[in-house]
Amino acid sequence: MTPGFKVIGKSFPRVDSQEIVTGRVVFGVDVSLPGMVYGKVLRSPIPHGRIVRLDVSEAERLPGVVAVVTAKDVPANRYGFALKDETVFTLDKVRCIGDAIGAVAAEDPKSAEKALGHIHVEYEDLPAVYDLEEALREDAPLVHPEMTSYDTVRLLRGAWHPIAGTNMVHRAEFRKGEVEKGFQEADYVFEDTFRSSQVHHCYIEPHAVVAKAERDRITVWSCTQQPFPVRSSLAEIFGLPESKIHVITTKVGGGFGGKIAPRLEPYAVALSMKCGRPVKIVMTRTEEFTASAGSAPAIVTVKTGVKKDGRLVAREMNLIYDTGAYAEGLPPSNRALKDSPGPYNVPHIKITSSLVYTNKLRATPFRGLGVPEATWAAESQMDIIAHKMGIDPFEFRMLNALDEGDIGPNGDLVQGIQLKACLRKTAEALRWGEKMDHPNRGRAIVAIQKSPTTYGSMSGAVVSVNEDGSIQVFVGAADIGQGSDTVLCQIAAEEMGVPFEDVSITSADTASTPFDQGTFSSRVTLYTGKAVLVAAQDAKKRLKEIAAKILKVPESELEVADKCVFVMKTPETRVTFKEIVELCHTYDGVILGKGWGGAKGDWPGLAHRKDLKEVVPGWKYGAQGVEVEVDSETGVVKVLRLVSVHDVGRALNPLAVEGQIEGGAIMGMSYALFEELIYDQGKITNPTFMDYKIPTAMEIPQIISIVLEEPLPVGPFGAKGIGESSLLGVAPAIASAVYDAVGVRIMDLPLKPERILAALEEKRG
Amino acid sequence: MKRPIKLRINGRDVEVWIEPDDLLLDVLRERLSLTGARRGCETSYCGACSVIIGNKIVHSCLVLAISAQGQEITTIEGLAENGQLHPLQEAFIRHGSFQCGYCTPGMILAAKALLNSNPHPTEEEIKRSLDGNLCRCTGYQKIIQAIAATSEGRV
Repeated sequence: MTPGFKVIGKSFPRVDSQEIVTGRVVFGVDVSLPGMVYGKVLRSPIPHGRIVRLDVSEAERLPGVVAVVTAKDVPANRYGFALKDETVFTLDKVRCIGDAIGAVAAEDPKSAEKALGHIHVEYEDLPAVYDLEEALREDAPLVHPEMTSYDTVRLLRGAWHPIAGTNMVHRAEFRKGEVEKGFQEADYVFEDTFRSSQVHHCYIEPHAVVAKAERDRITVWSCTQQPFPVRSSLAEIFGLPESKIHVITTKVGGGFGGKIAPRLEPYAVALSMKCGRPVKIVMTRTEEFTASAGSAPAIVTVKTGVKKDGRLVAREMNLIYDTGAYAEGLPPSNRALKDSPGPYNVPHIKITSSLVYTNKLRATPFRGLGVPEATWAAESQMDIIAHKMGIDPFEFRMLNALDEGDIGPNGDLVQGIQLKACLRKTAEALRWGEKMDHPNRGRAIVAIQKSPTTYGSMSGAVVSVNEDGSIQVFVGAADIGQGSDTVLCQIAAEEMGVPFEDVSITSADTASTPFDQGTFSSRVTLYTGKAVLVAAQDAKKRLKEIAAKILKVPESELEVADKCVFVMKTPETRVTFKEIVELCHTYDGVILGKGWGGAKGDWPGLAHRKDLKEVVPGWKYGAQGVEVEVDSETGVVKVLRLVSVHDVGRALNPLAVEGQIEGGAIMGMSYALFEELIYDQGKITNPTFMDYKIPTAMEIPQIISIVLEEPLPVGPFGAKGIGESSLLGVAPAIASAVYDAVGVRIMDLPLKPERILAALEEKRG
Repeated sequence: MKRPIKLRINGRDVEVWIEPDDLLLDVLRERLSLTGARRGCETSYCGACSVIIGNKIVHSCLVLAISAQGQEITTIEGLAENGQLHPLQEAFIRHGSFQCGYCTPGMILAAKALLNSNPHPTEEEIKRSLDGNLCRCTGYQKIIQAIAATSEGRV
């Protein structure tokens, strides 16, 4: 616990604890309404082709079927979470296996499923493209020939640069210094190429939605990470004002980026509009693997120039991300521009990041937003360089690590950084430098950074004081399991001087909470947290105004604590919140505080402040390390210990922070060792938990999580985010530890046994 | 053809009309509003649908409701008694053993089945007892800690 705070820094149990452990909590899959029917989506079995015949008449006549919808039943308006490149149902051609062609609603799920088989579709196959490099060839079939006519959502306005007539839906560049000059100054130049695989988020709750459409009003219950952008998409698709669309986020059974975009909502609304009854759609696990979305895998080439003494002088990275059939990979590919070079002092930088359409499952943000793929490459290469130059990999990072007051690779002023301390703590926990006492064991250490979202993403909050003096918080951000509802209550309780137990929160409901861009990019604690803090300060100010009248002292002499406003000099002179609000509600309005949080950008039309350093607050830094054992007979890598050290600003709820670190670490280990969607001609061949492995309790190593606190001045009570950085460095740490153990360097993820064995065999000659 | 069967769930007998091929998971969720058991896959792999039948943890998505007749079925809704949470439920809260909470009922029930037969398991035995239950959020460490603490009476 942090001295001086009553609520902040304490591991309060989650506000939803009781309903979670008793099983009574209502997830998307649990929503049920009177008269509800069940929807199923007809999905394309081919990766690329034209629809030449579509006949639903037989399905419509089946018993139990209440509605069948296809493209002709819904407006053809394009929408999307990033780029507006899809329609509710495919208009003329399908672009991947899993593309939605139509949907059926029936009295029960079995009848709906059965009816899908009675929709007759004839396709004309088109040549398809599944490989990134093939997709970039001049004669490659185009997935979206018309893409330059598309538009982006507000958040990405001005940040989308398509290359017409190609599959390269986006290409952007970042430069700092003169990279060519940097390479001339370098004593050594290293160049390596790394590949990552497409993984699935594997939240255990599948996508689930219930939609109730009335003549002029639509209500949607969805396990979405972003109720407000989902509302915008529905308004655009169906041509209604946003005020007539009510999106309620249910309890979300994990998201990790996978529940950020509109997914089932448009289908359920279209069906409900047609049949006039509430419609529920729940994805099967196979549907999740083959028709929702995965991560954006990348081919990353890193070229690094180093001076003899080990100082980095230039870094050039070329990242090519595969976005599949739709460009939800746009935000990840853009984020790589900022975060790729790593948390180091590098005078000369050039980053090129491209996004490519293929006829595969779409990519969408995945915990880390493109940075896991970049970090896999950049940190693996740091280890390669250290070994080739004969420098200790830990010392190599310490030598180049960013420090307080440095200018980061992207031009931001570095503030509140604890990177070197994180590296030292990791080394200590790993017993760095001690000789390994077993053969085939190795260890490695990496440094990581992750930026928060920049301007264009805002969060609002309202804080009201009830008649008994308890506090009600309203935020638009969804708690997707990370515990934001709890932490936001802690912020309000601390600022308002009330016990934690007296605060309640309403979150992520477009009809009753203020706008929030959504839950992604480790932004909720930082931005929504700031919004709650400001709203609490606003409510407190109003309480003091009224108290000043009651106590007949100036506001400046008042403070709040224990649900009272009191005179600082004579604390026994006080008035309770209850008394204030009762008087207020009788004579003088209501107590309502409001606030917002987010990184404020320059208004368009104003000259960009080139003389000032762009400051994006809340960059997260950390270090991670592992100790592994490699079975040289089977190629199996076992992680024995995993150390994860992060500078979190201030841990508002240490238990919740630890939970994020541990969960991210194991997801990172799984990303490194097990996970990949395997394709054969555009078809995913491992779409079940039996064939797509994620770890069970049996596979986990000892996890050592360490939190360093250096309060971030602009963060709520000094906090930063932690949700994504906990995953970033685990894969390169494991690969480098494998190198340390058995001397083979794996450049492609995942580090599966056959890859390790092949490398070992090659090494043995 | 629907037919009536008697199930004994959480210490009470209930009569429910079912089809012979109805799965226990669907009967619990759709007919009896016991939604703490959840579907996370169709291949009996994730364990979100876990319930205890007799003394054993089973995946209710693999059990025909009709075959569960005459046996004692325990779901997560049956754990708290007279408004008092079960020690495992308290331990999961105290140790931060859930994030999204979707897998939590299955995890708690798997732990209960373990502690019923083995009140003082080793860490290895705890891990093994959870190998039919997937969690994507926590990394399992805090789940294991909560179960160990419960077995040692440290809730």
